[in-house]
Amino acid sequence: MKKIVLMIVLGTFFGLAYLLALSITLDAAQPAKSRPATATKQSCLTCHPDFAPVLPKGHPAAVGKHIVACTTCHKPDTSGKTAPNAYSARLHQAHEGKTDCALCHTWEPRKSFGLVGQKFSWGKPSKEEMELLKKLLGSWATSTYMDAGHGKKNVTCMGCHGKALPTEGDSVENDHCLACHAPLDKLQAKTAPKDFPDRNPHKSHLGDIACTVCHKGHAESKVYCLQCHPNFKMKIK
Amino acid sequence: MSSLEKDPPVVKGISRRAVLKGALGLGVLTSTGGLAMNLATPESARAAVRQLPKKWDETIDVVIVGSGFAGLAAAAEAAGQGAKVVILEKMPTYGGNSIINGGAWNSWDDKYHLRQKLNLGDDSWELFKQDTLKGGDFYNYPELVEVMVKNAPEATNWLMDEGVKVRDTLPRMGGHSAYRTFMAVEGVGRGITEHMKKVAEKRGAKTRLGTQVSWIWRKDAESPVLGVEVTKDRKKSNIRIKRALILASGGFSKDVKMRMTFNPTLVAAYNCTNQPGATGEMIRYAQAIGAEAIQLAFIQLYPCAEPETGMLDTPAVYPYTGTGYGLIYVNKTGKRFVSELERRDVVSNAQIKSGSKPTYSIFSEEIIQKLAVPKAEIERGIAKGRIWKTDTIGELAGKLGIPADALQETISKHNKFIADGKDPEFNKPVTKSMLPIVNGPFYAIAQWPAIHHTMGGLRINTSAQVIDIWGNPIPRFYAAGEVCGGVQGSNRLGANATTDCVVFGRIAGTNAGKEKPVA
Repeated sequence: MKKIVLMIVLGTFFGLAYLLALSITLDAAQPAKSRPATATKQSCLTCHPDFAPVLPKGHPAAVGKHIVACTTCHKPDTSGKTAPNAYSARLHQAHEGKTDCALCHTWEPRKSFGLVGQKFSWGKPSKEEMELLKKLLGSWATSTYMDAGHGKKNVTCMGCHGKALPTEGDSVENDHCLACHAPLDKLQAKTAPKDFPDRNPHKSHLGDIACTVCHKGHAESKVYCLQCHPNFKMKIK
Repeated sequence: MSSLEKDPPVVKGISRRAVLKGALGLGVLTSTGGLAMNLATPESARAAVRQLPKKWDETIDVVIVGSGFAGLAAAAEAAGQGAKVVILEKMPTYGGNSIINGGAWNSWDDKYHLRQKLNLGDDSWELFKQDTLKGGDFYNYPELVEVMVKNAPEATNWLMDEGVKVRDTLPRMGGHSAYRTFMAVEGVGRGITEHMKKVAEKRGAKTRLGTQVSWIWRKDAESPVLGVEVTKDRKKSNIRIKRALILASGGFSKDVKMRMTFNPTLVAAYNCTNQPGATGEMIRYAQAIGAEAIQLAFIQLYPCAEPETGMLDTPAVYPYTGTGYGLIYVNKTGKRFVSELERRDVVSNAQIKSGSKPTYSIFSEEIIQKLAVPKAEIERGIAKGRIWKTDTIGELAGKLGIPADALQETISKHNKFIADGKDPEFNKPVTKSMLPIVNGPFYAIAQWPAIHHTMGGLRINTSAQVIDIWGNPIPRFYAAGEVCGGVQGSNRLGANATTDCVVFGRIAGTNAGKEKPVA
């Protein structure tokens, strides 16, 4: 279920292309160096004849036409570790909605999803699941929800969902949230109301509850307390 | 039954109408093999012919619906029998109404003999039974009441053994003729549910949140419960049940349509103390496979909820637990309007007829001390404006906007009733444990009735088996707690729900766990 992350991470170079991903060409699946130098239609060079302007300052020169130019150094993250991944995040943010996913990603419906030039797979998304993943990646890149907030901090799908592509209905466990937002008591202290300390949403009479009860990744977050306490003045920033 | 897991033949050429007729006549279904029992009314969208699952997505020994007191007790006991137990909870948090309830239950004894230690008179299971029957206008099924009261001390000891701590008090509440209400130190149901959950989980029970049961599978009127259809994130799947299904899904106070179906006067404008998930659909699913549901019109108001929202917050418990110690209720004119030791329905109706909203509980420092309420808890209530505290009766009257002399006169009169040992005004059974309101500081809490508990529900027997409309137990089908009817009669006495849930939850869990697994 937690595979979304991988998609993002691996896709560092190619991942942006989700929206148009249906036409993977044979040569897209080849390592860049084996391609004829004239092939420009399906390569990074179409838009980036020179990578230097889009690379961070001090970044060594990137050579090649395809994601392999990046993955030579940026090994795809398959660890499932909860941490920002600036490389993957920036690639996806820059290309989401503009580039065919297949420029960087390999995908066989219900069989595999990976990166051009790499053997591993982050999951087996079906066509329907891929549509959902694209939609949610778009949300992650541009929405007003919590997903986009995380995107701005370079937290990719994997940062919350673990090491495999998430499937429909996937949730995020508290320990993933707390990997960055810990310790819990600090969080609780931050949200303790001065006037009524017992009205603390992070230390409520419901005990330990899932963060996702209120904090929704790809939808509007809602203060669960308000269902029974409509007069509380609480909102999620 | 194992053939069901393959590919049941579909009988073609049977119209929906014919199947529905057949379902009611019970003859046709057995011959169709693949069709599920469904007694839902023909007008209902759910009445469509249902095909039993061709294959099951998973198999579980004991499935429990609901994670409140009854569900957790059942889970602990079923898992204790060695069964693989899964609790399905449709809400995103566990505990239902139980985790937010007042943290109180009734018993006529316990291993530490708290009542005797506090010198609060006598009690017995017979007296507890009589009170419960009388409070329920004798609509209760006496054999079920007897199971509840006889097992109450053992349930109490079990809770204590599993870590529940109680306050050093034993209130007497409306309708009870003895001091028998145990209170968790936390002053809220979580002080009980957390310990129950711990023991259930320790024994291997698992809880799935956000998982709603959307159908109960049964083949025909002879068949056991076979499994359930669950819906999670709009996705449906089917669980095959090897030992038994236990419904512990609570009542329907929060479902305006359902409560008005049985009592049209309980309109949406009424406040409700319940959590949003108390919507009763499991009763409907059980009815659709032949379960009997009884006494559904008996729906109770809690007399002392927070007037604006209907919440049963911590301060809303004192007006109810304080009555045995001399707390009084007054209306806007400063007068008493009911015997404070009356049953919930009587007190609620008296408030509604008292002339204005809200009414107030009046009590003194000495009375609140009898309830062993932590000082900090009171201070929080005062800070929130839920509790008024003053040094004089006059000031208190001023805060409430009621005539000071009238309030003083009411209190003086009531003090005299306590001294005399009788209440000629409302005939309250005055006891020696009641204190006159003489010394300050003085307190007041606003209160108003809110819909609280549905006494009716599924018919069960003393083994917690669900009974069908022909009077027979449905094999591999149990229920416990508020989803059941018949234990509380027409009106539940305060704190009897927790006892009901724990006692019958444990019985259901034990019996379900002992069922011989389906081959």
